[in-house]
Amino acid sequence: MAEGFDIDHLAKLARLSLTAEEKALYSAQLGQILGHFQALADADLPATIDDARVVDEAALRSDEPGPVLGAEAVTRVAPASRDGQISVPRVVDDES
Amino acid sequence: MADALHTLSAAELGRRLAAGTLTSRTLCEALLARYQAVNDKVGAFTHLDQADVLAQADASDARRQAGQGRGPLEGIPVAIKDNIAVKGQPLTCSSKMLAPLVSPYDSHVAERLRAAGAILYGRLNMDEFAMGSSTENSALRKTFNPWDLARIPGGSSGGSAAALAAGLVPLSLGSDTGGSIRQPASHCGVVGLKPTYGLISRFGLVAFASSLDQIGPMARSVEDCELLLNALASADARDMTCFGPSDRALTPAGDPRKFRIGIPKGFLGKGVAPEVAAAVNAAVEFYRAQGCAISEVELPSADLAVPTYYVVATAEASSNLGRYDGVRYGHRSSVAGTPVEMMTASRSEGFGPEVKRRILLGTFVLSAGYADAYYVRALRARAKIRAEYLVALAGVDVLLTPTVPTPAFKVGEKASDPLQLYLEDIFTIPANLAGLPAISVPCGKSGHLPVGFHLVGAPLSEAKLLAAGRLFEAAHGYAHQQAAL
Repeated sequence: MAEGFDIDHLAKLARLSLTAEEKALYSAQLGQILGHFQALADADLPATIDDARVVDEAALRSDEPGPVLGAEAVTRVAPASRDGQISVPRVVDDES
Repeated sequence: MADALHTLSAAELGRRLAAGTLTSRTLCEALLARYQAVNDKVGAFTHLDQADVLAQADASDARRQAGQGRGPLEGIPVAIKDNIAVKGQPLTCSSKMLAPLVSPYDSHVAERLRAAGAILYGRLNMDEFAMGSSTENSALRKTFNPWDLARIPGGSSGGSAAALAAGLVPLSLGSDTGGSIRQPASHCGVVGLKPTYGLISRFGLVAFASSLDQIGPMARSVEDCELLLNALASADARDMTCFGPSDRALTPAGDPRKFRIGIPKGFLGKGVAPEVAAAVNAAVEFYRAQGCAISEVELPSADLAVPTYYVVATAEASSNLGRYDGVRYGHRSSVAGTPVEMMTASRSEGFGPEVKRRILLGTFVLSAGYADAYYVRALRARAKIRAEYLVALAGVDVLLTPTVPTPAFKVGEKASDPLQLYLEDIFTIPANLAGLPAISVPCGKSGHLPVGFHLVGAPLSEAKLLAAGRLFEAAHGYAHQQAAL
């Protein structure tokens, strides 16, 4: 089941940068864990998945604005902010 | 008398507060003294603002004095796991990723506790982002089992259980995704209840695996656990999985002496330590002697529960934890570069090893070419497990098993073997997969280490679980037990 396990590809998808030691450790551990998942491949399972809900009907609320955190509260917990806005590294290069 | 206040139940403290023989300030001062004496040994709390606690206590005493007391929790401290938001208090999930964060808002359960007059009493240690079964994955500090300081308290709500067993607080909140309330409750000799999925709003609970996560009460007795549950359970439109007001009627308990109790076939043989099996068998015999009908039930897909859980939970975690990108809150790396380089560096610096392991696993089981083989099959297995539990529970009132196969292990003993640690939750996971309520109740000791039994019921059968638990604890000496420290 675990064919094609590629730690570099996974790390890229997960936006994680791993050291060589971490790659070796996680590859070995994930291989062992995925081996344990073999029971799922061997099991006789139902075709449907739609009865795995406890709440039968999604309790959707009306699509109306409710109370929200203000800009001051949001920027106070942000790692970096300026003039009431969250600042991030430059996304688009200046072409001029 | 003040030095014994930490040994009393919440119910007894409530009676004394109501009678005017105790003030919340006196109670909180006694608990703060207990905190100074033992928290460094146990490591249950990661944060406690003593001035804020006393201010809340004075406000409670003033309300009571003015005849405006808010009910049985008025003036009683409730400590809170560090993944549940309380406005103005840290919300770290015991992770470097969130270590700087102070919550700008209250969770639904914090609102409920404030409305009930409770004292929101400090932040409790946990496995990072609730991922673990030993609280060894906390990035902030170690927590030890009060019954044996060389051993783990269980997890991920290890701080919540250890604080109770150490007499640091009478009530606590935990969260339970695969057993994170019940497993540490068993290891620390206290009571922990995971409610039916949807009974308690998760608004303000930091998401781990959203189809499994529940907040639940923990206490040193079943009576106290029920007291806290009653304060927490209410409708909340901000969590779309939370039952509405008309759908949340609990099944009446009835007489627990007439309960039909199912014992899942083979569960007492699955690597269960002999002392654990003996304590749980004694509990079964207690119920039989009370008049309960004991029968064996079949749960043929039980062996699929652990792999199913670890596929579903890690898949959902890899998605939920995608929000930690160093942009809006939490840790941002000082490594300069593009936005993607900043996000990657922030995540790599902020997350600990177990969180990274689960994100990688969840990313794999959802990735192109593998999702059908892993994630979709796990959803199908989940449907099968749930169906089998509901069939079994159609014939009995509750299912009884051990909570954990073995007593608390030594710190570090399983740290390098994640798969062995995952198997700690073998008895607790199915209730999360099936959305069922479940409780762990202390039922004995293995040497000096507590052992608990585990009851699972049909959806909204919390009253039955609590009634069965009360029947047992009334006849035994395990309620209100505390470790000598």
